[in-house]
Amino acid sequence: MDQFLQNYGFLLVTLVQQSLLAYSLYFPLMAGQLSLASPGFYALGGYIAAIMATAEYFAPWRDALGWGIFPLGWLAAGIISGILALLVGIPALRLRGIYLALATIAFVEILRVICLNLAITGGAIGIFGIPQLFESRWSYIWTFGPLLLLILCFSYRLDRSRVGRAFKAIREDELAADAMGINPTRYKVLAFVIGAVLAGVVGAMSAPFLNTWNARQGTFDASIAYLAYVLIGGSRSMWGPLLGGIMLSALPEILRPLKDARLIINGLVLVFASIYLPQGIVGAVGSIRNFTTQTLGIGRSEK
Amino acid sequence: MKRVLLAVLPVVMFAAGAEAELVGAPIPIGVGVAQTSNVALFGQEQIIGAKIAEKYFNKQGVNGTPIKLVTQDTGGDEAGAINAFQNLISKEKVVGIVGPTLSQQAFGADPVANRLKVPVIGPSNTAKGIPQIGEFIGRVSAPVAKVAPYAVKQAMKQNPNIKRVAVLYAQNDAFSSSETVTFQETVKNLKLEMVTLQKFMTTDTDFTTQATAVLGANVDLAIISGLAADGGNLVKQLRQLGYKGIIIGGNGFNTANLFPVCGKNCDGILVAQAYSPEANNPTNKAFVADYRATYKKDPPQFSAQAFTAVQLFVEGLRKVEAATKKKITQLDLSVVRTELNKALREGSYITPLGEIALDKEGEINQKTFYVSEIKMDAGGKVGKFVIVK
Repeated sequence: MDQFLQNYGFLLVTLVQQSLLAYSLYFPLMAGQLSLASPGFYALGGYIAAIMATAEYFAPWRDALGWGIFPLGWLAAGIISGILALLVGIPALRLRGIYLALATIAFVEILRVICLNLAITGGAIGIFGIPQLFESRWSYIWTFGPLLLLILCFSYRLDRSRVGRAFKAIREDELAADAMGINPTRYKVLAFVIGAVLAGVVGAMSAPFLNTWNARQGTFDASIAYLAYVLIGGSRSMWGPLLGGIMLSALPEILRPLKDARLIINGLVLVFASIYLPQGIVGAVGSIRNFTTQTLGIGRSEK
Repeated sequence: MKRVLLAVLPVVMFAAGAEAELVGAPIPIGVGVAQTSNVALFGQEQIIGAKIAEKYFNKQGVNGTPIKLVTQDTGGDEAGAINAFQNLISKEKVVGIVGPTLSQQAFGADPVANRLKVPVIGPSNTAKGIPQIGEFIGRVSAPVAKVAPYAVKQAMKQNPNIKRVAVLYAQNDAFSSSETVTFQETVKNLKLEMVTLQKFMTTDTDFTTQATAVLGANVDLAIISGLAADGGNLVKQLRQLGYKGIIIGGNGFNTANLFPVCGKNCDGILVAQAYSPEANNPTNKAFVADYRATYKKDPPQFSAQAFTAVQLFVEGLRKVEAATKKKITQLDLSVVRTELNKALREGSYITPLGEIALDKEGEINQKTFYVSEIKMDAGGKVGKFVIVK
């Protein structure tokens, strides 16, 4: 068991971390907003935690708080990401569909160029030598794991709450939702902020996990990867991002023995999944169940 | 008493046998560099260099025991590098690792190896602070601060009247943005005047703004830190817009991939190099001959540095055998790793990079550097680096 954790601990934690980032995209999607801003907040959160853990200015804080500086970093990252999301979200969410996606890509790029040019973020080399919360990589499951459980509970409750139903109403038809008395702007911004806070906190947790933080974290490529997690996992179910995040980030590592062929197979899986599973994996499982109960009459109670 | 001892002894021996993990034969040495992603170009060159080293040193092996390279793809990001390193250390049970390709990846993955007490030699990590990551981390790539000044001094030799200098760099490339700091300091130390500082991105294709600024500033020397594609285009556009002065390229220009980009306009660019195929020692001659036989061209710096990293491990393992008077394969893996790390830092090595040594921290101590001038043929297609004496 110990050996297994040594070998695969880092990967296991990465799976959880990537699924969490998938959730940061899932919440805006729940309200029908295609936002690709998550990597930006992820990078921002990481920088905040990295700076708090290494900068001279925070030295007295670190001495006073000990390991408490880490939760403080998560908190700071969450709050700052939330405020920034609010400021960006109110104007940006006036845009719809593909225009919103473009605007959020631009936001990620702006953040990246700013981080490349500031002295405090270490330019292109970034921040390194980040103090560690745990000795071994797999122990980081104790930070990411509880967060994932929390997010699962949150999604489960959200699904059944007034807010969650408002999100879905906006996703299905924004005009109709507006007519029913739902304030679309308010709920759209809310969904955006929830996603941003989550991405920021995950970033803050990831900085010590990766030992270093630089402007190559959270780029446009990452946006697309997170989007793929949600779409291939299934964007209509709370289990979709979890499944998609775990499967798609595990695949390249599981295929490691195949060497060069692994990226080809990884690509093929993406192509086939998007052609044949338009509802995502969770959606496909759901339609198989419908098919068996309705057409074949299996598992249906006879009347 | 004797009976007790006899009873206990097998138990102790069994326990020791279960605990101790011997080094496998052939002795595995890990190579964790980028074989995919946008830095794969460098990673591929590194793999070639390491493979040539494997073949060359396996003629004798480690006093008869052959070595075996185990390669793992790190991709271009930090998580990929950590995964590859973990894999090499706990699954492949390597005695040491050559890698990763990028300095940023080194800051992510090297602490992992250091905590598990596995020696790492960085073949191309040039950023400040790499050997300081820990006692098990070293490198054979001279930091930029050492290499860059040579080119500026050479330019001063070619044209002693240089006064006004333009400095340009790719702001999103870690290497370029730390190299430019060294260039700027060199310019200051040589009492030259930096009249303009221009930034660009490695993804840019249009450099009109930067070129116009350089021309407007009326400079005698332009120093560019960038990678092959962007740097080459920048040079081309500078020359096309009428810049006549000397151009110095950073280490990113240190590749034949530059020639197709700027073509005829590459002619005359000065580049400081940590490696030259013309270095005169038996190891380098064998390395160059083998490389030329397969690829019909001169080996690049990245291959030479990867070769050197493998060479250090092989010679280090020989030293460990000499010191412990035991075969490596009879020793405990963790003992070999620790002893190898100590051995790496002792004595000097005659490598393709010339005579080098690692200091206590793991930093390379390299004796010779070179400045080359790019010479293009009349058609502007084929070029080569010619050492300026």
